[in-house]
Amino acid sequence: MEIRIAPQMSLMDKLKILTDAARFDVSCSSSGSSRQNDGKGIGNTLAAGICHSFAADGRCISLLKILFTNECIYDCRYCINRRSNDVARASFTPDEVCELTMEFYRRNYIEGLFLSSGILYSPNYTMELICETVYRLRTLHRFQGYIHVKAIPGADPLLIQRAGYLADRMSVNLEMATAQGLREMAPNKHRSNILRPMRQIQNGIEQNRNEITLYKHAPRFCEAGQSTQMVIGALPESDYQIMSVAENLYDKFSLKRVYYSAFVNVNEDKDLPAPAAGPPLLREHRLYQADWLLRFYDFKVDELLTEKRPNFNLAIDPKADWAVRHLEQFPIEINRADYRSLLRIPGVGVKSARRIVAVRRFGSLTFEDLKRMGVVLKRALYFITCGGRMMYPTKLEEEYIVRNLAGQDPAGKGEKLFRMTDGTLYRQMSLADYGVQTYSQPTAGAAI
Amino acid sequence: MEEKYIICEDSLEGIFTAVYDAYALREKHEHIHLLTEEEDNYRLFAVYLHSQPDLVKTNKVIKTLRSRLGNEVYLALCQAAASFYADKAEAVYKTITDGITSGRGRRTMDDLKNPYVARTHELARRTANEAHKEIEFLRFGELEKGVLYAKIGPENNVMPFIMPHFADRLSPENFLIYDEKRNLFGVHPAGKEWYMVSDAAGAEACIETEPVWSDRELRYRGLFTLFHDAIAIDARRNTRLQQQMVPLRFQSYMVEFRSK
Repeated sequence: MEIRIAPQMSLMDKLKILTDAARFDVSCSSSGSSRQNDGKGIGNTLAAGICHSFAADGRCISLLKILFTNECIYDCRYCINRRSNDVARASFTPDEVCELTMEFYRRNYIEGLFLSSGILYSPNYTMELICETVYRLRTLHRFQGYIHVKAIPGADPLLIQRAGYLADRMSVNLEMATAQGLREMAPNKHRSNILRPMRQIQNGIEQNRNEITLYKHAPRFCEAGQSTQMVIGALPESDYQIMSVAENLYDKFSLKRVYYSAFVNVNEDKDLPAPAAGPPLLREHRLYQADWLLRFYDFKVDELLTEKRPNFNLAIDPKADWAVRHLEQFPIEINRADYRSLLRIPGVGVKSARRIVAVRRFGSLTFEDLKRMGVVLKRALYFITCGGRMMYPTKLEEEYIVRNLAGQDPAGKGEKLFRMTDGTLYRQMSLADYGVQTYSQPTAGAAI
Repeated sequence: MEEKYIICEDSLEGIFTAVYDAYALREKHEHIHLLTEEEDNYRLFAVYLHSQPDLVKTNKVIKTLRSRLGNEVYLALCQAAASFYADKAEAVYKTITDGITSGRGRRTMDDLKNPYVARTHELARRTANEAHKEIEFLRFGELEKGVLYAKIGPENNVMPFIMPHFADRLSPENFLIYDEKRNLFGVHPAGKEWYMVSDAAGAEACIETEPVWSDRELRYRGLFTLFHDAIAIDARRNTRLQQQMVPLRFQSYMVEFRSK
């Protein structure tokens, strides 16, 4: 193909511009794919993924996260690279991306490449550039590390398929939780254009799984699955709406991960929120906690939130929040409860629950044993018994427990508790916290 | 009954040989203890024995461990033995006796109610965690002739646990990892098996001086440092979190932090 790239610029300058442009993309893990080196090139992948460094904002750097180009024909309101912004523009050549990836990888700086892009000329042209880059990396350089590429909405399905055979993971950004929100924020993008490639990748993965069962050495299609991301707090969507969309994506699109990105008003758009306290990081944190509950703790969104109570309690984590509202199910006896009930105890994670099940075969457990196994007793003590006894005499009372738990949650510290009209002691989040005006809200997950 | 203390060399071979010697005494295990270094204050009514590392005995112990306790337990024991805590030899020894006498086999490490097993579990976990941190944070630099070289300073002896990872990943590369706390080299010649060299003659002298890097090396360091700085979002700045994720003792070995 013919490659039309902007005027000469040093690699240093390009990297600066195109890293700056890519930093708001969040789905950058390197997990889900496990591959040994075949002895013909460099690289392998680990199922757990590896973080190689951490940036000044505390987020991990696992992949070389760059845009291929930040030139874009679209004009999305939340995006720093939108057409109407006056920012420095640059584009890599496929060879430059290959050089950076290979040299960084050899030095153990990165785990692989995360390639996204602004829309240059057209979705097809952009997708073709991405494919070409990844193709060179895989064949010319025999790179066997991790590659994550974006599927550009609106690109030809054949191009997306081609990319899928070269990459470990693909992602299409959902951007906004609701279709209406997307219309408002990204006039050039359509919900259906985003869901179509997502469905295609899902089907591709499923088909590929069948092929691999039959032919062990069949080429792998997106071995590490697909992910997506949503911007949080730019529009007045409730946590309930956001989590319902996420649940739908996990159930109906078999996504590996959904990422949430606290909205940062980079374009200083007057109509969008710009909270003085900075981006809604705590809300983002609570959403991630709830996301884990969906994926590893067997929770359903309807258990955590309801139409009437659509937002998470910022002062305590979603699991503790669920537990204090279901005190009739507690206390749970550690020596008898099944694995699924153990997982529902605040302070007991997947690892400790597994250890409890394994260790109690050899004799009944005491609080001392639990502590050694990594159970967070200061959270769990309100909800458990060992051999029929609680650790201390405590009240099994919602208000009392919430007050104690809220004091020790490292993220929620400083969040004020106050009494709601129905008498419960909660810090209820309101839209005004994000400086936005309420307007009619579409129902959760209606679009999917 | 008098207590017996076996003092052994601080290495996997040393500890496993001492375990063999302890069994050879044919006395009750609760009266035998393993130490990796001489005690500051000797105990009254105790007998101190010395054990010299022996390859034949070590291999016998390894063979028994793998067949009776399984590879997973064996790996945990090796990780615990690589720990820098002084009580590791005792914990490993008592875990082995517990596993073999109780007949728990592959489930030996599940017996966390036993304080020695819990300690071994803890030590193994710490070594494994640090090995993973080195796999994340180790930084290679390219020497003049294209050889990759990295310096590390881990608390525990993680070299045997990180070399297989890099040997697989960088199989067509010649690389060298130097553990400056133990004066230990991990060497990987391109396309061949890796091996370790300890106390190499004259090694310290050449490590003291800054190695001669290749011409391109500084360019890529600059590019990565730039990338590392540009990827952070200012509105989310949180250096405390950053330091929690990359402890300072690793930062001093990493190019992107060293330049500041």
